[in-house]
Amino acid sequence: MQSVSSMTSMDHFWLIIFCAIVAFLPRFLPLLFFTKRQIPEWFNEWMRFVPVSLFTALVVKSVFVDSKYNIMTSGNLGLIISAILVGFVAYRTRSMTLSVVIGLGAVMIFVLVLHI
Amino acid sequence: MKKNEPNWLVVLRTVMPLGLSYIPIGLACGVLLHAAGFNHLLTALISVLVFSGGAQFLIASMLTINAPMTTIILMMFFLELRYALLGSSLSRYLKGQPLPFIFAFAFSMNDENYAVNYLKFATDKHWKPTQALLVEHYSLLFWTVSNIIGSLIGSALTINLSVVDFALTALFIYMAVMQTKSRLTILVCALSGVLTIFFLVLMKSTLGLVVATLIASLTGYFIERHLLAHKPESHLLYKVHDPTSQTAMEESDK
Repeated sequence: MQSVSSMTSMDHFWLIIFCAIVAFLPRFLPLLFFTKRQIPEWFNEWMRFVPVSLFTALVVKSVFVDSKYNIMTSGNLGLIISAILVGFVAYRTRSMTLSVVIGLGAVMIFVLVLHI
Repeated sequence: MKKNEPNWLVVLRTVMPLGLSYIPIGLACGVLLHAAGFNHLLTALISVLVFSGGAQFLIASMLTINAPMTTIILMMFFLELRYALLGSSLSRYLKGQPLPFIFAFAFSMNDENYAVNYLKFATDKHWKPTQALLVEHYSLLFWTVSNIIGSLIGSALTINLSVVDFALTALFIYMAVMQTKSRLTILVCALSGVLTIFFLVLMKSTLGLVVATLIASLTGYFIERHLLAHKPESHLLYKVHDPTSQTAMEESDK
């Protein structure tokens, strides 16, 4: 990954504004709505599966798919082992910091030192 | 808790574990945003306005692969959609608050300070909405300062970005694990993973992530509905064991 970006700071500014709007509405509207009325059951049940599906999708993308959208068949063993390790740490400790710090440590060892 | 402790200190004590855990993640995020071409001011702005670790990491990594703006915003929409769930679950504790308060509260709510506030509201009946808002502002302060320092570090040192980028992956693995409550969720994860590879390779675009997420989550929803109606004793509906049993209270609360 290198820092090649064709966008200017002005583009970045507008990107931030749009992302802020997109980030704000799902936080605000339900809160505004449901301080006054009931949440529809189907929405709640469906939303229970959205975050977990998206997080898995993002993890799988970064571990198994390269930037040209091909399946990585080599060079990602270190990432796979680190990801499994992070999953185990997250499950046992429920600590965000431990998960991230141990994950970073594992990747450093596997990718930078062992080159797998 | 001591009786005559001032309010700001009581709240700061509550938010401290979260604030400290934001430091390494915020630093990594600042480094990545700098590498994506953000200056220090923009990094500060995004930390305040978007205030979401996952979202900021995602923006940084999508900018470095030159993803178009519309794709980034669409991804952002699906990533942030989960806040609808958080907002609706806190809403019963914020009934009767004026609109400006709801606005301010929604503006700075994210996964982590939601968790802190939800736990406080559920366990401490003296916990007030204004204190909850202060929790959000403290966590915002920790987050923004860590991001700015990360951005400064990023401009001073050369850092291997593929390693820092794994902080995002680790963060998402953590959040996925924290959300895995039943065996069915594990099945949905597996389905989502397979669909992700399939649609990304097929569509050659990050939209594949959106398609995979929608299909996997809807499949999970319909399987659960079917099982609850026809096979309520199915093994798929079994709860996943929590070794620390921190979330036990949250469960019984539903």
